[in-house]
Amino acid sequence: MRLIWNQGAGFSFRAEEFFGRDDELAALLRVCLEGKSGIGASVMIYGPPNVGKTSLLLKLKYDLQTLADGAAPPRPFPFYFSFSKILSHPLALSQHFLQEYLWQLLVFLGDSPPAAFDIDALSDRLGIYGLIDCREFILAHRRFTDRGDGLSALVNAFSFPFVPGGEIFYPVFLFDDFQYTCKLQNIPDGAVLSILRPYIKSGHFPMILSGSSPGHVTSSLKREGLFGSFQLMEVGGLSPAASEKMWTSLFERRKIQMPGHIQARAAARLGYIPVYQRMFAEEVSFRDAQVTDEIGFENLFALSITEGQLNRYWREFFESAFPERMLRARAIKFLKRVVCDQFPLDTFEGALSLLGTSPEEGGEILSALEFKGLLKSDFEQLRFVGDPVLADFLYWAFERGVLGKSSSQVGAALVQAKLSRATAESTEGSREKWVGVTKELMRRWDCREVPMLLFRFGSFRERFGGKGLLEVVIGMEREPQKMRLPKISSVSTGYRTRRGGPRFDFDLVAYGFLDAEFSEENLVIWAADVMTEKALTANAVEHFENRCRLLSLEKGLKPEQLRKWILFDGSVDPAALERVAQYDIFLSHRSQMRLFLNLFGVEELDLTPEEHKAPEFPPGAEPLEFELVLPMKADTEIVAARVAEEVAAYASLDKDTVDRIKMALIEACINAFEHSGAESGKVRLRYILSPEKIELFVQDEGKGFRGGHGGEESKRNRGWGLKLIRELVDDVEIATGERGTVVRMVKYLGHEPGKEGAGSPGPE
Amino acid sequence: MSYLKVRTRRADDALVVYIDGYLNSLLGEEVERVVQEALDAGSKKILLNFEGTRLINSIGISIIIDIVEKIMERNGMLAFCSLSRINRELFQMTGVARYVRAFDLEEEALGYFAQSA
Repeated sequence: MRLIWNQGAGFSFRAEEFFGRDDELAALLRVCLEGKSGIGASVMIYGPPNVGKTSLLLKLKYDLQTLADGAAPPRPFPFYFSFSKILSHPLALSQHFLQEYLWQLLVFLGDSPPAAFDIDALSDRLGIYGLIDCREFILAHRRFTDRGDGLSALVNAFSFPFVPGGEIFYPVFLFDDFQYTCKLQNIPDGAVLSILRPYIKSGHFPMILSGSSPGHVTSSLKREGLFGSFQLMEVGGLSPAASEKMWTSLFERRKIQMPGHIQARAAARLGYIPVYQRMFAEEVSFRDAQVTDEIGFENLFALSITEGQLNRYWREFFESAFPERMLRARAIKFLKRVVCDQFPLDTFEGALSLLGTSPEEGGEILSALEFKGLLKSDFEQLRFVGDPVLADFLYWAFERGVLGKSSSQVGAALVQAKLSRATAESTEGSREKWVGVTKELMRRWDCREVPMLLFRFGSFRERFGGKGLLEVVIGMEREPQKMRLPKISSVSTGYRTRRGGPRFDFDLVAYGFLDAEFSEENLVIWAADVMTEKALTANAVEHFENRCRLLSLEKGLKPEQLRKWILFDGSVDPAALERVAQYDIFLSHRSQMRLFLNLFGVEELDLTPEEHKAPEFPPGAEPLEFELVLPMKADTEIVAARVAEEVAAYASLDKDTVDRIKMALIEACINAFEHSGAESGKVRLRYILSPEKIELFVQDEGKGFRGGHGGEESKRNRGWGLKLIRELVDDVEIATGERGTVVRMVKYLGHEPGKEGAGSPGPE
Repeated sequence: MSYLKVRTRRADDALVVYIDGYLNSLLGEEVERVVQEALDAGSKKILLNFEGTRLINSIGISIIIDIVEKIMERNGMLAFCSLSRINRELFQMTGVARYVRAFDLEEEALGYFAQSA
């Protein structure tokens, strides 16, 4: 009788091997426990395949079981059921579903269920616990089965668990791999949801659906008018901290040693995805490898991608998703362009033309990718997973399949790319940012006077070494020696005096004029270098001075027309300090820069690259900032919307944009009202308008965004608010901290909304 | 409070409901009540006129969805008219647009009702 046994996942799950996802678990747990008072919210979990959705559900089940022991009845009965490809026949599915439910219920009640997996025996045993309703259901089910009426049998099986559990328990439904309900034989798409619809609508049963294909499921949800009743939860990689904990556990058991910084690197390379971490640990242990440094790690990683565990994992994945070879090759070639080369793509039409096949075949490929969760299609917009391991696998598959290279060749290329890119990234990233911020700063100089000490690191250190920031600021204000900055007309990186001539590589070269008048006599050039090395050496200063000398020679600059400026982080050799004084080079440490930036109201150094790269920012145009505090009263969100209208008037935005901003703000305010616990609380809004974007911050004083404070309103609105916000503005970020939740929304005012949309990595 | 009165108008066998102002839970419930009454009284054709609707929030949308469901359950007919661009977009985003026909003008909508009488 027990041909298909679907608790496999349940048995292999070990709670002690589950790490991270605390926020998600807390939110889900809250939803489940609300079932006790008859409030049943529905959540849909989605994310790429094998990212850990099933583990999350099983961990939730485990937590519910362990937590419920002490609590007063009714206790939550977490019923985990996984739909699968095998159970595509409705009769098989309904039969199995019933068995599974009865079996898990008996286990839950503390029974040892009969070994023979026999429905009658199971229901007899349940009778002992006073649960006698099931008899009738089972009789009816048998009638339908005998008649071969699959749909009725399904209706019967799926309605059964909703018979109230009375005083003893209330059911919590954890339905896994839900996308397979769309692929039942001879049953219309979404029939299972139609059956479940009244129970979902009744709002009494906590129900968590999980699947890798949100598109399929959401479209059936929409058809059933259920979409609004669902909260969506996207599952991606773990947090770095949780990933690290997982390494510890994986390595301990296998007696693997790996230095901490390599572990961090490995976790990042694997996208913080648990299943990869597990495979990689197996790889290390299987090959008995010693991973002690970056090179060792990259080699092993490349080996795993080209012929080891990670390779096998994705190869099998593609073989099962695309049994037909031609389609598989097409899909891989296509995905390689999109996921690995980050070809920007977000429309269906674009995807079809990149696939270069007939619409039917292309549609088949895309729908298979969608079904497997590699691609998310939402409101006609496509989004692909940003999985680093998949990207490397695709690279391998492409190089080998299309270009015919050998695995070891590809592996070597991977290692090479990773090692060179990694070193460039780690130092380049912060340096680039710093250069960007300095550039922004220089654009704002505008003939202002600043204390000379900002450019004289030696004196600065003497005067303020070890003092607090406030003291320094006050001291600086009284500084008598000032320096008049030029008005900068352009700042660029590097400089070439003439076509084909030698290039003067400075991080920044700024053209300025000492007065507002742009004349040849007034011209000054500032050459600046940003050095992020640990220590500034005499050699580096020497090198800088040489380049400056060449530049001034080429351009015929008088000494006072060229200002030389080194910005640095870290320490400075005494010899370097000497040279700096000798050549009259300005030298500023990062701490001086901080003061400098402060003075000009430029953001701190951790500005994101996109923001400071916007070259169109006209000099002198400071962002406009407005603040508003709303009392938590019904309908005050209208005030927020009206202020938005007024703010937008400054930028003469078109009506559509203003309307979208207003809607998004209203939703964010309603969310803030609902979710911040304090009734007497306030919601703080900030509107920041700059030429390229409008930024909106909505901050409440509560403790989290998905909080479950009942109330009629929040039940009706469930799930819509955030969803709409995401549609209405270009970027949304939600941060919950000690002092409440802040929703940051950005609407770009240019004509390229969300240009980073296509290639942005999914997890994290 | 009575300021939330929803204006309605009979046009042959259809009921036109004018949704003026901010469609939030308060106004939404009032609209829902009016529609429910009309359905109970045997009306089958409901036209929601959004000409005076300045804003809609998510709760308002949920209520509209409830109304759509109610009318579909009773095999009634529902249409929208005079939607502003943002509101039209909103109904598209939320999937409501797939179930309900939207017209630019009230007359067009009533004409559609009359044709399918």
